[in-house]
Amino acid sequence: MTTGELDSQLELLQGTLDLLILQTLAFGPAHGHAIARIIQQRSDEVLQVGHGSLYPALQRLLRRGLIVAEDGLSENNRKARFYRLTAKGRKRLSAETSKWERFSSAIARLLSPLPDQNS
Amino acid sequence: MEAWQARRKRLEDEMQAHIDLETQENIEAGMAPLEARQAAMKKFGSVSLASDQSREAWGWLWPERLWQDARFALRTFGKNAGFTAVALLSLMLGIGASIALFSVVYGVLIAPYPYARPNQIWAPAVLGPKDAVRGWHWYSQREMAEVEKLPAFAEVMATSVRPVLLTSDINPENFYGVFLTGGAFNFLEVKPLIGRTIQPYDIGPGGEPAPVVVLSYGFWQRFFNGDLHVINRSITLDDVPRTIVGVMPPRFGWWTNEAFWLPLPMDPKDPSGLAVIVRLAPGVTQHTAEQQLNQLNIQFAAERPQDYPKGQLRTILLNYMDITVASGDMSASLHLLLAAVGLLLLIACVNVANLQLARTTGRAREIAMRIAIGAGRGRLVRQLLTESVLLSVVGGALGVLFAIGATQLIVALIPPDYVPNEARITVNGYVLLFSLVVSMLTGILFGLAPALRSSRPDLVGTLKDGGGAIGSLRGHAVRSWLVVAEISLSVILLAGASLAVRGFVQMLHVDPGFQPERVLHIDFTLAPKRYPTWQQRNALDRTLLESVMNLPGVQAASLGNAGLPYIGWRSSFSIPGQPPMDGRQVAIALISRQYPQTLGIPLKRGREFTEMEIESAMRVALINESAARLWPAGQDPVGRTMQIDDLAQAPDNPQVLAAPGVAAGVTVVGVIGDTRNAGIVEPPAPAVYLPYTLYAPPGRELAVRTAGHPLAIVNAVRLKARDLDKDLAVGKPNTLEESLGQETQQPRFNMALFSSFAALGMALAAIGIYSVISYNVSQRVQEIGVRMALGAKRGDILKLILLMVARVVFLGLAVGLLGSILIERLVRFQMFTKTSFGVIPLATIVVVLAGVSLLAAWLPTARAGNLDPITALRHEA
Repeated sequence: MTTGELDSQLELLQGTLDLLILQTLAFGPAHGHAIARIIQQRSDEVLQVGHGSLYPALQRLLRRGLIVAEDGLSENNRKARFYRLTAKGRKRLSAETSKWERFSSAIARLLSPLPDQNS
Repeated sequence: MEAWQARRKRLEDEMQAHIDLETQENIEAGMAPLEARQAAMKKFGSVSLASDQSREAWGWLWPERLWQDARFALRTFGKNAGFTAVALLSLMLGIGASIALFSVVYGVLIAPYPYARPNQIWAPAVLGPKDAVRGWHWYSQREMAEVEKLPAFAEVMATSVRPVLLTSDINPENFYGVFLTGGAFNFLEVKPLIGRTIQPYDIGPGGEPAPVVVLSYGFWQRFFNGDLHVINRSITLDDVPRTIVGVMPPRFGWWTNEAFWLPLPMDPKDPSGLAVIVRLAPGVTQHTAEQQLNQLNIQFAAERPQDYPKGQLRTILLNYMDITVASGDMSASLHLLLAAVGLLLLIACVNVANLQLARTTGRAREIAMRIAIGAGRGRLVRQLLTESVLLSVVGGALGVLFAIGATQLIVALIPPDYVPNEARITVNGYVLLFSLVVSMLTGILFGLAPALRSSRPDLVGTLKDGGGAIGSLRGHAVRSWLVVAEISLSVILLAGASLAVRGFVQMLHVDPGFQPERVLHIDFTLAPKRYPTWQQRNALDRTLLESVMNLPGVQAASLGNAGLPYIGWRSSFSIPGQPPMDGRQVAIALISRQYPQTLGIPLKRGREFTEMEIESAMRVALINESAARLWPAGQDPVGRTMQIDDLAQAPDNPQVLAAPGVAAGVTVVGVIGDTRNAGIVEPPAPAVYLPYTLYAPPGRELAVRTAGHPLAIVNAVRLKARDLDKDLAVGKPNTLEESLGQETQQPRFNMALFSSFAALGMALAAIGIYSVISYNVSQRVQEIGVRMALGAKRGDILKLILLMVARVVFLGLAVGLLGSILIERLVRFQMFTKTSFGVIPLATIVVVLAGVSLLAAWLPTARAGNLDPITALRHEA
């Protein structure tokens, strides 16, 4: 494996994770642990993302101004950082989602003849 | 930095909270607390990785990475102490020597003057149709007034140097006072240390100068111990009390750095020469100015033909940066030495490149491993680059330290008369910048190539193979070429040094034609107004000479002008019955009777002067052997006459009085041996010696041959002079050996620097060759093991490796010899007294370099030959 291949794979992973975070936040502000839990549940535990890799992604999104962070209290009354979607983030989410949908439907069409697609 | 730390802390807190929450959920789900925590941590993954990547998202990771790389580099250096030491030593010497020499070049050639915009100062030179550019032109006062009116010039100033007698309560002493036009200080734009400079109002409407004087720093220190209240005090110069109005800073030495500046008396009838310099009016080109001035010069030449070249005149404006002392021998030396130091720097860089290359090749396995576990190419190149830049920066810093010492050494070696008075040589800001750039460039250039190469290795091959011979074959070829380059560069450097040494040794062995040992040389000046006639002056001179001759310990004494040992005065001449000597001149010296004994010049034919001939100023002459050859072979010049054209003219200087009835014809009474009268490296000029009494200038030179140390008699001579006339100014005494020694200063300087650069170069090359070859051998240990296992003998191994090294060494020597011969042709080394390479020095260079290289190869090879084959086979580099 060359470093080049490694990089492009990482990029795909990052893009996907970013999109998942944005989508999670579309339903309202959440803290890191909640985001991790939601992503895990919604992807039926198929996407086994290490919780740790969430944080670099959050920092990336913060930096690009797609989300903002604010201090709040978690469900167990502990201090926590809550992340909320910005207007820019919302716009980005819809753009990315449609792009992603086109991509996944294309993949689905390509893969549909295979009999074991639902296994 | 603090905000960054806080941000980092908050991020880590947040992640910790995440893990805590997860733990709590796990406990709620029924896990045991310890198990719950472990599960949570496992789910989270590496906290430090997440933290790292998060911070990378902030974009602030690079200083952290740099620090990391630097720390890693330092650790690597620590592990390879030998490599680090050699690389640092190479860089230190190479960079240090270049900074030191660049400092000297900056001080002497680039910024030698404190004057405002020195590159816009021009000096006119007037040339005949065939003349080469020599010095500048001397204008009379009336001519200068015309030059000033030319529209092409914005500013014009003139300088004239004359002997000035300092009297008053201090011992009388003769100085060369510098007379300047009123605007001169404003032209040069140098501020005084205290007081004021000479201003235009110091010269009255009728041209009469105000009785003011501006002191040089040296004079101020010597006579007033740097007293700040010196302003408005007065000193007596040429019997006129003059008010001190200012003192110049140490770094101002317009034509003197030990005397003073005076306003120039403006008298249109004064024919003595003025050195004129100009600044051009805005928008005027050099060419236009030269044309305007040429028109004027043609006019002047018609009025004063004897002082202008014959034929069609050309006028050239010389830029001040291109003339004066720094343009002569010193400039040639410095340019050559700069080339030498460039070679030295190249050798140092080659050394470092070589080492880097050898090392990165040796680290191929480490690098392959790092790539295999996920290091990016950019990251790897950055790491390697950090190492080499760090190395060169540290090397550069060491080089600066080395340079500070070396600069002081060079300054101590520089012959004083070969640099401008005002040149200040220090390691300055520009030079430091230069060194920084050089060291960084060296690091980047020679770190990048191996870094790029090693970041693209064949991973599988390198990991499988024990870093063996096949993988490093290409690197090996490159390294061999670098060794060839290194050897050839040091050959060139050594060849240059041998030229310098030969030139110097040759000069030391020149026979000057006289015996300079134990001869004192001292000059004195009488006050011209108190001795207005030729008779009075010669009477004083004779009394002085007689009283000196009667001093105990004096073997012989001579009084006169020139010939001690050099002669500046040249005159055209003719020999009756011979075809005219077109353009040839003879050197003329004025001497007293004991001149040949005083200098130890043998009489070859005829006789010496008699006391009577001297006393009555008869037109008799002694000539040297070169002059005797002006007559056809077989014709004895003794008893014949010759015409010395200058004797027929009134002296240029109105202060020089001629004997009554001086005329061109002189009779030769004797022939004395040739002396090096035109400089130690020049062939002797034909010379004619005349009785000193023919002319009576205010200043005379006295030579005394003593039984003991010549300087021991100085005080006795001074006392005799004071007894005769307390205002008789006695100059600075020196010995003829010192005068000759000054001639050898420049070659001595060249030799010292060239040899030390060459020695450094050779040391660097030896270190480089040694480290590279020993590295190569250690890389081939496995191969050696295989060969020995297959039955190769120790001798075979030695032969194999020595042959490989010998090929490289001899190629390097051949290239170097060819290069030095080409360079010798190219440069022609004028300053080395027309020396050429001798066979012996070249052979010595070859033997020494080959010896060093083969020795460098021998030690590691012998070690390799001693290896136990099994160890060698198992060995993984």
